[in-house]
Amino acid sequence: MSGGAFEHLKALIVEDNQHMRALLRSLLNALGIAVVFEASNGEDAFVLLRDKQPDIILSDLSMKPMDGIAFAREVRMSTSSPNPYIPIIMVTGHTERHRIEAARDAGVTEVLAKPITAGNLFQRIGEIVDRPRPFVKCPNYFGPDRRRHATPNYAGPFRRRDDFENDLAVR
Amino acid sequence: MHKNAPKIELVAAADYPSLLPKTRSGQAMATLKSHDTLAKASRIIALKTAELRGAVLELVKQMEQAARAADWPSVYDTTHEIRGLAGTAGLAATGRIANGLCHYLDAIAALGLKPDSAITSLHLGAISRSARTDDDAARHGDAVAQQLSALVARKLSEIKDSTTVQTRLFRPS
Repeated sequence: MSGGAFEHLKALIVEDNQHMRALLRSLLNALGIAVVFEASNGEDAFVLLRDKQPDIILSDLSMKPMDGIAFAREVRMSTSSPNPYIPIIMVTGHTERHRIEAARDAGVTEVLAKPITAGNLFQRIGEIVDRPRPFVKCPNYFGPDRRRHATPNYAGPFRRRDDFENDLAVR
Repeated sequence: MHKNAPKIELVAAADYPSLLPKTRSGQAMATLKSHDTLAKASRIIALKTAELRGAVLELVKQMEQAARAADWPSVYDTTHEIRGLAGTAGLAATGRIANGLCHYLDAIAALGLKPDSAITSLHLGAISRSARTDDDAARHGDAVAQQLSALVARKLSEIKDSTTVQTRLFRPS
């Protein structure tokens, strides 16, 4: 048995551009992921998520009728989601700050900006393997902790639970 | 805990299913960082370049059609597709110019304004031209992308300034 680290994984690609889908599939195959499902929008992807139970999702942002942000939110927040903890890499050409923030707030694990390079894609997968983040569950968000860096000299606003516990939030 | 503290629950990474079992993560990281894997993946991308370039040219035609009809949402959609594919298709300058136009159209739409025809036609012309040139980056593509990016930045800054002035002028006292 060759025993490739990724050989038992199943991936789901959600992308409306067939050329990009084919490219992503080939890159995942190169890693050793043989089972790759494809959908061209969030609605179809959610059906595949339930039926095929993939281990990782690569999703575009702009798609119709359900875009990548709505899809990510559905995966994370819906009561019918089969795996709200599944890693989601948002592969997008959008570089506008508000769209990246919207993706982050929908609960995506990593954002990969197009144009795609093999190095960038593998680096994002490496982050998921090597440095999995805790999940945050609160009334309006469920997803990976959005804080990636500690800021020792942070001056506020203080909104975190431990801020409340340390009375920083009532300064 | 403070009475205003929002209800927040933290689920540690060890408490939810990981992508790979711990016993495989070292091997996985080695695969991801291996020169062989990267070389194999880069060869795959190189093999797809011609196909992707064809797809970009098809999108350019759609973008030109949408522009002739002044259908700006469609111009944005196709230009967005172009910026996503062009870089991987070996058309880096085309991708950068498309990115600049998307950035401009996005900002303009957010302000509820109509796009400036000089800016759009300069970008559209540059995208059409660079996508159809074989060695666009080696020619003038990068310089054009840079100039257009500066033009967009200046134009958006002018709009922002005039919006600020209007807000000040019409702010109720």
